[in-house]
Amino acid sequence: MAAPVALTRHMTSGPDVPGDHNPLTDVLDGVADVHARPLPVSPSYFSRQARFNDSYLLLAKLAERHRKLPVLPKDQVQPVAWKNLDNFRQAIGEQVKATEFVRCMELVKTLNRIHPRLMPKEVSDALLPFKKAVQPYLNVEKTAPIDKFGRALGSGRRKTSVARAWLVEGTGEMLVNGKTLADAFGRVHDRESATWALRSTGRTDKYNVWALVEGGGTTGQAEALTLAIAKALMAHEPALKPALRRAGCVTRDPRKVERKKPGHVKARKMPAWVKR
Amino acid sequence: MSVPNGLRCLLRPSTTTSIPARIVPVTVLAASFSSTSLLGKNPLPPKGKAPPSRVKVLPGGHIRAGKKMQLGKFKKNKQVDRSRPPAPGERKAYRKRVTLSNNNALPVEGLEEMSPQAMVDPEKVGRMLALPNELVDQLRAVEAFKPTQTWNMFRQPSILQRKETRELAEKMQAAAGKGETLKLVISGDRLVGKSMLLLQAVSYAYLNNWIVFHIPEGQELTNASTDYAPIPNTAPTQYSQQAYALRILQFLRKANQKLLLDLKTVFPHPELVQHFPVGTSLLQVANAAKEPDSTWPIFNAVLQELTAEGAGRPPILFSLDGLSFVMKASEYRSPAFELIHSHDLSIVRRFVDLLSGKTKLPSGGAVVAATSRGNSPRNPSMELMIAQQEAKQGLREQPVKEPYNRKYDDRVEAAMRDIEVLRLSSVSRSEARSLMEYWAASGLLRTAVDEKAVSDKWALGGNGNLGEMERATLLTMRY
Repeated sequence: MAAPVALTRHMTSGPDVPGDHNPLTDVLDGVADVHARPLPVSPSYFSRQARFNDSYLLLAKLAERHRKLPVLPKDQVQPVAWKNLDNFRQAIGEQVKATEFVRCMELVKTLNRIHPRLMPKEVSDALLPFKKAVQPYLNVEKTAPIDKFGRALGSGRRKTSVARAWLVEGTGEMLVNGKTLADAFGRVHDRESATWALRSTGRTDKYNVWALVEGGGTTGQAEALTLAIAKALMAHEPALKPALRRAGCVTRDPRKVERKKPGHVKARKMPAWVKR
Repeated sequence: MSVPNGLRCLLRPSTTTSIPARIVPVTVLAASFSSTSLLGKNPLPPKGKAPPSRVKVLPGGHIRAGKKMQLGKFKKNKQVDRSRPPAPGERKAYRKRVTLSNNNALPVEGLEEMSPQAMVDPEKVGRMLALPNELVDQLRAVEAFKPTQTWNMFRQPSILQRKETRELAEKMQAAAGKGETLKLVISGDRLVGKSMLLLQAVSYAYLNNWIVFHIPEGQELTNASTDYAPIPNTAPTQYSQQAYALRILQFLRKANQKLLLDLKTVFPHPELVQHFPVGTSLLQVANAAKEPDSTWPIFNAVLQELTAEGAGRPPILFSLDGLSFVMKASEYRSPAFELIHSHDLSIVRRFVDLLSGKTKLPSGGAVVAATSRGNSPRNPSMELMIAQQEAKQGLREQPVKEPYNRKYDDRVEAAMRDIEVLRLSSVSRSEARSLMEYWAASGLLRTAVDEKAVSDKWALGGNGNLGEMERATLLTMRY
């Protein structure tokens, strides 16, 4: 009966166990000789939240062990997207208690403040289960290059139209397929949508546009141009991205003509019912 | 609370007085013999044949309509319009109506008036100039205003003084000063303001006391819509258009009355029915034309007098809009049922001879023609000659004549070999700005006119095409 006692003692001792020696291996060493039946690897095996408790204990031990390492001020720490309670519960498959998770996350954040140059590998490994798989803070923005003539190329699509727009700093002139905007688009609404990226950001008189559009109809071409010009504009001024997104110039509109299906007259229309 | 009553005052008077029938019985305040269909109609439905009621009254007093079988469900409800059809010519008059003023538009303070000096003043380029009232009357008399132009949106007709306007006015001034004839064709993209520039040329002529022969639409001369007759003893046969000649004389009488009164005849005119001794005023001669049948000799006499050499005649402006119609075969037919070339129509020929330099104006003047993009037939020869002139002026590369195109016309090419071309392009930002300020001052543009607004509209109008800017700003219901 020595093993359960040892386990219980260990589990109830909580995070403030002084950890110079590994209690787990001690237990295993001591017990393996005596008992023939296999012992669980984790001493928390019989608790409700075995994996969480393991991590918690490990973190507590590491915090104690590395408490003297220098830490960064809070505002200089590289931001990390941590799992929230739901994410964490789902990831480890245990019903972790909220209060315990909060306490654990305090430890996690304390450990994360250790200076990155001195960050021990065991700590960064221990923090890993608490990080989200996708770290948006690590994303590096892809920027379109600006060539030696100062031109940025953006491309956009809408329906079946494809547009390429070269944007260069200038006085606000615009040529689409070699024609002026008025010649290229008879409808004023189309002209407005083609220039919307520049108009919504107040850059109409700052750039010249030279664009090529093909495929589709006038609406598609105009809205493909919106996207192309917006992308080229973001190459010149990346900071405009949120403004352009609010203006609806960043996302490609994925709608297309729905395909016709067999047995239907059109995409969804069914043939009229005929008696006999 | 008072909103319904307030709104009611916006209704038409006929509907304002409608009081619910259960309060006051409907009385129609019209004579029983009224011919107005609406008021004359008997307000009470005819008695006797009441439709069978299918309305079901439920015990609670709730009324529900019963089922009705509709047989002609898909038949269109025929509504016979019994109103009077418009009289002949009424629709056309409505379509061609030119409104030059709008009392709802705000008057623009501090606009400078158009004057002979202002038109050649480099300081005035990019400003709006208001047309003086006498000039408006003259321009209206020769139908220089067009119904498609947006005069009806503003309190007073005003025009932007463009760079090209000053250029043209200076050329006209120089030509008149030297006693030469300016031969000029205005070309340019669609809606760029060619007819407006022609209007400004005509204005310049009137302001400087020139005689003006203005043909508002070239197509009216050649699309077989006015009378024509062969002129005897001409080879190849030429054709007179008496009705149109009378119209030109009427234009002249109305618009150049003062000037004609001062000019005296220098030739005896034995061919005229009425006797005009030498020294009669030209107005008197022109006034003799009352009917189309007797107009042709008078028209010739007036032209002969106005182009008399050494008689101290004022400069003359011949202007025509829609050049491509007079640079091709007309729709008239000869007695052999062949198409008559426009240049064989006598009025057109006079114009073309002046344009080609075959005849000259003794006391100087100008021949100005504007091409049209909206309504114009394809005219390869004219386009080629204009392109060649533009290439000479360095505006474009040299055009190539298509070797297998059979639609080229030698007569047109000969007539247009030696002309000047004024290529009208888009306006600059400063010109666009002053125009937009005028729009804003007239209450038509409800946004602040700043750099951003100007460049927006400039870009929307296809890099400063004035007509397109106007379309995008004033003619859409957005602002």
